[in-house]
Amino acid sequence: MLMQGFAVAGTPENLMIALIGCFIGTVVGLLPGLGPINGVAILLPIAFAMKLPPESALILLCAVYAGCEYGGRISAILINVPGDAGAVMTTLDGYPLAKKGLAGPALSMSALASFTGALLATIGIVAFAPLLAEWAIAFGPAEYFALMVLALSCLGGLVGDSLPKAMTACLIGLLLSTVGIDANSGVYRYTFDMLHLQDGIPFIVIVIGLFAVSELMLMLQNEHTASEPITITGRILFNMKELMLAKWTMLRSAFSGFFIGVLPGAGATIASAMCYAMERRMAGKDHQFGNGDIRGVAAPEAANNASANGSLVPMLTLGVPGSGTTAVMIGALTLYNITPGPTLFQDQPVIVWGLIASLFIANVMLLVLNIPLIRVFVKFLSIPNWLLVPGVAAISLVGVYAVHGTTFDLILGTLIGGVGYLLRVMNFPIAPFILGFVLGDMMEQNLRRALSISDGDVGVLFASPISIGLWVAAVAMLVGPRLMRMIEQRKAAAA
Amino acid sequence: MSERIFGGVLLLVSLAGIWIGWDLQAPMSYEPVGPRAFPLLVLFLLGLCAIALMLEKKSETVWAPPPVLKRIGLLFLIVLAYALLFDKLGFVIATALMTVPVARFFGGSWRQGIVGGLGLGVGMFFFFDRLLDVALPTGLWLNGILG
Repeated sequence: MLMQGFAVAGTPENLMIALIGCFIGTVVGLLPGLGPINGVAILLPIAFAMKLPPESALILLCAVYAGCEYGGRISAILINVPGDAGAVMTTLDGYPLAKKGLAGPALSMSALASFTGALLATIGIVAFAPLLAEWAIAFGPAEYFALMVLALSCLGGLVGDSLPKAMTACLIGLLLSTVGIDANSGVYRYTFDMLHLQDGIPFIVIVIGLFAVSELMLMLQNEHTASEPITITGRILFNMKELMLAKWTMLRSAFSGFFIGVLPGAGATIASAMCYAMERRMAGKDHQFGNGDIRGVAAPEAANNASANGSLVPMLTLGVPGSGTTAVMIGALTLYNITPGPTLFQDQPVIVWGLIASLFIANVMLLVLNIPLIRVFVKFLSIPNWLLVPGVAAISLVGVYAVHGTTFDLILGTLIGGVGYLLRVMNFPIAPFILGFVLGDMMEQNLRRALSISDGDVGVLFASPISIGLWVAAVAMLVGPRLMRMIEQRKAAAA
Repeated sequence: MSERIFGGVLLLVSLAGIWIGWDLQAPMSYEPVGPRAFPLLVLFLLGLCAIALMLEKKSETVWAPPPVLKRIGLLFLIVLAYALLFDKLGFVIATALMTVPVARFFGGSWRQGIVGGLGLGVGMFFFFDRLLDVALPTGLWLNGILG
């Protein structure tokens, strides 16, 4: 099956697309403010408008996604500003290393760590995803509904600082997904007699509004005086001693990163923070963590790449994304009329295996791009904001316009961007919003199907052991993390 | 305070949504759950969250200082105007017009804004419209000239 995937991903056209995706991804990743979700959100409509076949479009998006995780470390190490959220921990040791004149080894070691993490996680996808998909195929509509509640509550429980805020974000997303003609009954819901709303709010309009337009306003708010990147002097490559020091760190962090990534909700940020803390603790007394330890860049980079790839597992096998970026990718599938879910492996082997194979290829490309060509990428750090911001604005609207070509969509996207800015400033997490919007339709359909089968008896939702387990897990994930944090705070206050 | 106001607005929105949604009945029903159950359930939960937001004690939203906030508002209006004119003026001119003030906001000079705007407009038009086949509007004025 994987060979079939390599045959798909290995066509000259798809190889070219993967290479372009890797390059764009690295650049988007290294630009502070733009992360994987913005990159994927902006490129998705363009890929769609270029009429790329679905497997090529997904290869492009995955290459961008993988590339972003590589790119984030470049700005983290050279200007002490993480290029994306997953690279926050990389600044802790990366910048001190660069100041010592060891920018080259820090960059190459973190590239190798990124590669190790991504490679291990991709092997993990090959090993686990088909098994999980087979198990999930037995799910009925009731189990499915519970599973989606679990996905939402995982994300809601982990992100943000307040439970009502996370839940509000997710419910607004769910609510917006109901706009348009109801497929089962033909009733117009919340369209306010507007023709353009009949088919619902286009997914791309929401994504671009929330992640691109609002980002522009945040960039204006957080405008920091751009510091000069540290120039790379001396050796580019790490030496044997550094490799020996960091090799177990990379492997450990890659493993844990993958499993954290598979869990819905916990993404690259959490994975890199946990692995960094773990390695620091394990290093014993003789370490320089915080002052430029090579393991301090290896651990978070291996972890965030592994978890980014790991989070593709629930997306591919269950059709339930666990993070904002994978939610956007699910949206990409639905744009191509492909129903995500456990049957994806059977129905669309070309897409699934092509995507997995392209991850292997993309990571090799990224490793090659990121070590010798590092100086090329560093140049992108000096793109001034006065050119970058209008550029992002223009590309965003091009993407929205490419779908239907209406002014209505452009204005709706901008308005959603304004609301998105308010929500983000008020600390409402945005990932549950987009996840709710993506899952809303599937949730409603499964709920209605389940209740149709049981003739309206709500008990069917809690009838099977699997669904009971999922409900229990959902409640635990929603309340658990906050409860633990509260207990810890109590303890800290008492001590 | 911001959270309370937002919670209040949200509560009103969810009540209005429930009021509108109450009439969403299918003329012919052949399934136990019709089109209104799911939105009403979501709106009900949203209302509860809105109340929870209003009751939450901590209010920690830090707004940008007023001058910055004003510029952010202006940026929003510029993007909105850009969206409005995108189709009518055509991509090249609308983009150039949008770039000049936005570039000024981010520390660019007038010259950089104008040159950058024209560069972005023309460059992206050729890249997307000609090279990648993503159709972009040429604008009503150009259609008029070209007939």
